[in-house]
Amino acid sequence: MGNCCSDEAGGRTAVGGTAASMGNPTNFPNDAVGHFLKSRGHAPFSEIELSYSASDLRDRDVLSKSDPMVIVYTKGRDGVLEELGRTEVVLNSLNPKWITKHTITYQFHIVQTLVFRVYDVDTQFHNVDVKMLKLEEQQFLGEGSGVLSQIVTKSDRSLILDLVHREESTGSNRARNLGKLTVHAEECISSKTTTEMIFRCSDLESRDLFSRSGPFLVISKVVESGIQIPVCKTEVIKGDLKPTWKPVFLNIQQVGSKDNPLVIECFNFNSSGKHDLIGEVRKSLADLEKLHSSGQGENLFLPTPVGHNYQNKVLKSQLFVDKFSLSTKHSFLDYLAGGCELNFMVAIDFTASNGNPRLPDSLHYIDHSGRLNAYQRAIVEVGEVLQFYDSDKRFPAWGFGARPIDGPVSHCFNLNGSSHHSEVEGIQGIMMAYTSALLNVSLAGPTLFGPVISNAALIASHSLANSGRKYFVLLIITDGVVTDLQETKDALVKASDLPLSILIVGVGGADFKEMEILDADKGERLESSTGRVASRDIVQFVPFRDVQSGEISVVQALLAELPLQFLTYMRTRDIQPIS
Amino acid sequence: MESTSRTLEVTVISGENLRTDRKPVKKNAFVTIQTDSNKVCTTKMDADGGSYPSWNEKLVVDVPMHARFVTVEVQCKTSTGNKTVGVARIPISDFVGGHVPQSYLHFLSYRLRDYKGERNGIINISVKAKVPEYASCSSGTGMGMGVPLADNNFGGVVTGIPVWCTGAYAGKF
Repeated sequence: MGNCCSDEAGGRTAVGGTAASMGNPTNFPNDAVGHFLKSRGHAPFSEIELSYSASDLRDRDVLSKSDPMVIVYTKGRDGVLEELGRTEVVLNSLNPKWITKHTITYQFHIVQTLVFRVYDVDTQFHNVDVKMLKLEEQQFLGEGSGVLSQIVTKSDRSLILDLVHREESTGSNRARNLGKLTVHAEECISSKTTTEMIFRCSDLESRDLFSRSGPFLVISKVVESGIQIPVCKTEVIKGDLKPTWKPVFLNIQQVGSKDNPLVIECFNFNSSGKHDLIGEVRKSLADLEKLHSSGQGENLFLPTPVGHNYQNKVLKSQLFVDKFSLSTKHSFLDYLAGGCELNFMVAIDFTASNGNPRLPDSLHYIDHSGRLNAYQRAIVEVGEVLQFYDSDKRFPAWGFGARPIDGPVSHCFNLNGSSHHSEVEGIQGIMMAYTSALLNVSLAGPTLFGPVISNAALIASHSLANSGRKYFVLLIITDGVVTDLQETKDALVKASDLPLSILIVGVGGADFKEMEILDADKGERLESSTGRVASRDIVQFVPFRDVQSGEISVVQALLAELPLQFLTYMRTRDIQPIS
Repeated sequence: MESTSRTLEVTVISGENLRTDRKPVKKNAFVTIQTDSNKVCTTKMDADGGSYPSWNEKLVVDVPMHARFVTVEVQCKTSTGNKTVGVARIPISDFVGGHVPQSYLHFLSYRLRDYKGERNGIINISVKAKVPEYASCSSGTGMGMGVPLADNNFGGVVTGIPVWCTGAYAGKF
């Protein structure tokens, strides 16, 4: 539910509300099957503050130095620039340090390209609001661009850009130094501040007169339109009219600010899913802190229909805040600045079900006009994001399900054709190794995931002896139904104890039902043949459809959980960002 | 003693969906850990966690070097005495050996089996082997491992063996 959950597995099995499901284990609500480790974290959501300085700007004025200003743009995938903001004008300086800062939301799953343009503002405009300035009336000093993930992965969180002429400028061929722009990124403290609260209720009333309450709380934030968006919920406590729930955690960024109103609703759990509202309270985080300090309770109220309106009936029941504490946890960006890396690995399905690569209807068909096939698009779209988090950009790349020349079918062969190492240089290296492999192997079968997962797990295991600051991401691109489902589960269960996440992209039109089983979001926790259970969810599956309907892209769905999986791993092992 | 046994720090974290005779455990769940030796380590009781108990309790367990399994048993206290909820038989090889460092903190989860051998909930633990002083020094010098060769042999599959309560448990039922 939302981005935050209680410390315990949320939404316990049905208790209290109705007795009908007590003896019916198949009727558990999905909420009841929660991962305890999953509940320890909440999805990273970071605002970043950008600040700027420059050096060695060109001297444009005859009688004085330049008066520079920076304009910041975000560049969309279509290349369109959207202005993010402008700095103030620094008078008479070739090495300015601007005061103005701009805030941008960090989105892990997107390559966020920023463009910076520096202008010398003419003296006659010095008293004009910078928003009113017309850029064609100013002197262009230079342009720089960079990717946000390049900035946040540097230890000092700064990126130095060479200022150049615009591409369309007539002086583009000259190798003149236009100066340097330094962009510094700092994560807003509110993005990292978490409140821990313990709620207690007294004298709860249940409208279900014949059963005792199984109460739980839902905390929602109220957006401008008045809609309530759930951000947090507690576990269900059976048969208690004075429940004390386990701690809940809220990131301040999730609720907007400490003063934004929250709705805290107390429900009586019902396995049908239609929970009875016992009562509610409307308070901000600041109000809850005051309640905690004073030790007082707040009466719940129940909206009661009166004619065409609602009237709030004050109840005898009360809500108490037994604990309220603020803490700053290490964020995903803290780990990146501390030198942790995400290392990208890729494994490609070379089974015969893809079709003959020489035929246009094959999923592996290489179109010489340059149009990418589904495998190539998946590699590029995932790789172009993840490459920024790997310092050496050497990626292990495997194929599976093919017969090399003079050999038996291999379920994990090096894409580069080498027999002793699997790494290639950059995303382009993966693409070249892929097209080269297509010419040198015969598609075969069956489809096995176990060997490539075990190989990735081996690399992850060995990295632990070095520094433990690497987290591995294996991308598996496949067209078909896996043959070794149980062996794959076994490998995934073992890998769940290692710094490894696995992304599975399904291409083509096959039935991907078994992939949904591996993605624990949509299924139960994976269990190996020996009874060992995955200690955390490391698999994400997304079908790669040619038509991308809606605004959420395939890559977003695939990568959205990765920072949380990373954080869950790091925090449970108490690995600190700074070594 | 050092040469005949190893010391494990086992944190018993939590249980999920525990039942006795198909009904959710209501209260008073606790966990015992046992190896071949007669020593038994026991957690405190989770009085109010119900079928999703939480202990977060660290037990120090001495395991003989020849032992191949550690047995984790979830029990609950009832008016008629302690009742076994489920048992998990954990291979030592899940957290000793392999390619990770000796002192790696493992997070492990296991399916419990009740006295009939039927699936019954999950136990979540973490395990860390205590490394003697001299061993950790030598393991430090072992750094610099290269990337391993591509390996098509990912090992055979171990056949799952359901745990049948015999011997010491038989008397309880």
